[in-house]
Amino acid sequence: MKLPNYNQRLLSIEQRTQRFMLGSVVVMVLVLLMIAVKQDYFHRSTAILFFTPNAQGLSKGMAVKFIGFKVGSVKEVRMQPNATVQVTVSLDNEYVHLIGQDAKARLVKEALVGESVVEIIPGSQQVRQVTQNSVLEFERGQDASSVVENLAAQLQPILNDIHQITSSINNPNGDVQQTLKNLNQVTGGFRKTVDEFTKLGASSNQKLDGAYGKIDKALDSVNSSLETLDKGIPKLMDKADATLDNVQSATSDIKKITNESAAEIPSLVRNSNALVQDGQETLGGVKNSWLLNGLFPKPEEQALPVDGYVAPKSQ
Amino acid sequence: MGFRSIIILICSLMLLSACGHVEETRSARQQQATEFNQRAQRAFQRGEYQVAASFYENALQLDIAVENVNGIAINTLNLAKVNQVLGKTALAQRYLDSLLEDKALQYPSAQLAAAAAQKSLLSLQEGDVAGATTWVDRAAAYCAADCSLSGVIDNARAGIALRANDADKALYWSERAASANKSASQLEYANSLRLTASARLLKNEHEPALRLLEGALGIDKTLGLPEKIRMDLLLSAQAHEKLGHAEQAAQFRDRAARIAATAVK
Repeated sequence: MKLPNYNQRLLSIEQRTQRFMLGSVVVMVLVLLMIAVKQDYFHRSTAILFFTPNAQGLSKGMAVKFIGFKVGSVKEVRMQPNATVQVTVSLDNEYVHLIGQDAKARLVKEALVGESVVEIIPGSQQVRQVTQNSVLEFERGQDASSVVENLAAQLQPILNDIHQITSSINNPNGDVQQTLKNLNQVTGGFRKTVDEFTKLGASSNQKLDGAYGKIDKALDSVNSSLETLDKGIPKLMDKADATLDNVQSATSDIKKITNESAAEIPSLVRNSNALVQDGQETLGGVKNSWLLNGLFPKPEEQALPVDGYVAPKSQ
Repeated sequence: MGFRSIIILICSLMLLSACGHVEETRSARQQQATEFNQRAQRAFQRGEYQVAASFYENALQLDIAVENVNGIAINTLNLAKVNQVLGKTALAQRYLDSLLEDKALQYPSAQLAAAAAQKSLLSLQEGDVAGATTWVDRAAAYCAADCSLSGVIDNARAGIALRANDADKALYWSERAASANKSASQLEYANSLRLTASARLLKNEHEPALRLLEGALGIDKTLGLPEKIRMDLLLSAQAHEKLGHAEQAAQFRDRAARIAATAVK
């Protein structure tokens, strides 16, 4: 190997190493810039606070939304000396003018299976806008599972009462069954008496006294059955009343719950829809990318195979 | 050429091929038709034939609306098939006629061959041997050199020969079909085995028939086709009976009866 040639190659390697290092530094700077943009280092923001008895469902980095748009994030969740939780939220300055001092922060779930977000509920337009370290009122939104749990809790006593009434009616020793049995017997006896009475009318009047006696007895039985019925019916009516009361109170509670969650349900559904749509779009994008599209089978209309089997006429 | 140059060349070729790859554009209507077709396929596989018919009808309407000729042929054939399974043979015939007698659109010959073959099988099912022969000949005429339906056509011919009690002819066609279908379609291969077994039974060759039916039964069980499993069992019972195995024949009949009792198609 000649020496000048060797030196030339060394120089070339050095130059290439320099270019590689420079390229690496440029890429690193770009990555750092991207991280900085992602972390909102170039964003001017306003910190606002709210307090809550516990930090359940709240975490650092959680999105803060206002009328469905992301306007900031949770910067800090910190326990106070008095055992309450202080949550610091960073709001983009461009949206701050839309949020009044009387706005509320609410912890809601985006969809049935979505993540939790802090939603800013707008206050009145006339009130002064929030400023650095303004304190907002905080409340927890109801999610779908708690709505369902409440409904189930309200329906349980009604179902118990209905079960009790049905058992009481079905019980062979219960008032209703006994009364019906008595009535049945009386009807049979009464029919027999009427038959005898007809016979007597045709043959002689001598046995009329006996028949009258039997009618009297039958009427007594009817009276006693009606008395039992009289006793039984008020008990049933009381139970039915109690059940109706329960139904009424449950209905009013359900109405209340529905009213409370009415504002959240459409957004819950809307967000779920948006989530599914996003998922579909992402999957569509992945499927269409030239690197991956070969991995997915192309959807084509398919024909059923022609089957050469012919069923025999009589088998 | 150095190693680096080869790598650069390969990368450039990859990039060029990526740029050169033009994705086929499909309209939203066409995609919707495909979705309906795929839903129908799934419903058909689950045995929900009425649901499948409804989805195929939706797909067909969309294909007609955008004049997707291939889609029209596919969904019409599928509708004929579903209606045949549902027992609506007249409607199935009408769907097939709409393809075979269409003067306005030019369908691919493979689809016309499928329609003619299906029409032949329908005619045979209704006992119209002459009609079945006419249509199987037309199917064979449509079926070009690369046609994948030759096995089905041979099976249809074997079926026609069996109806005419021509055991030799049936054996010829069914064995030819079996060799064509063995590597192409398990469904059709099982049909060939059953037809060969039937021909052997006609020729009083009961032992070979039993072996063939055993093969057909195995495939039909794998594919989960109750009607065909029942037929394999009944033919096996017939073979056992002829061989003097009364007890085994009764067992096979009992097994077939249990399948029939489920009324699952």
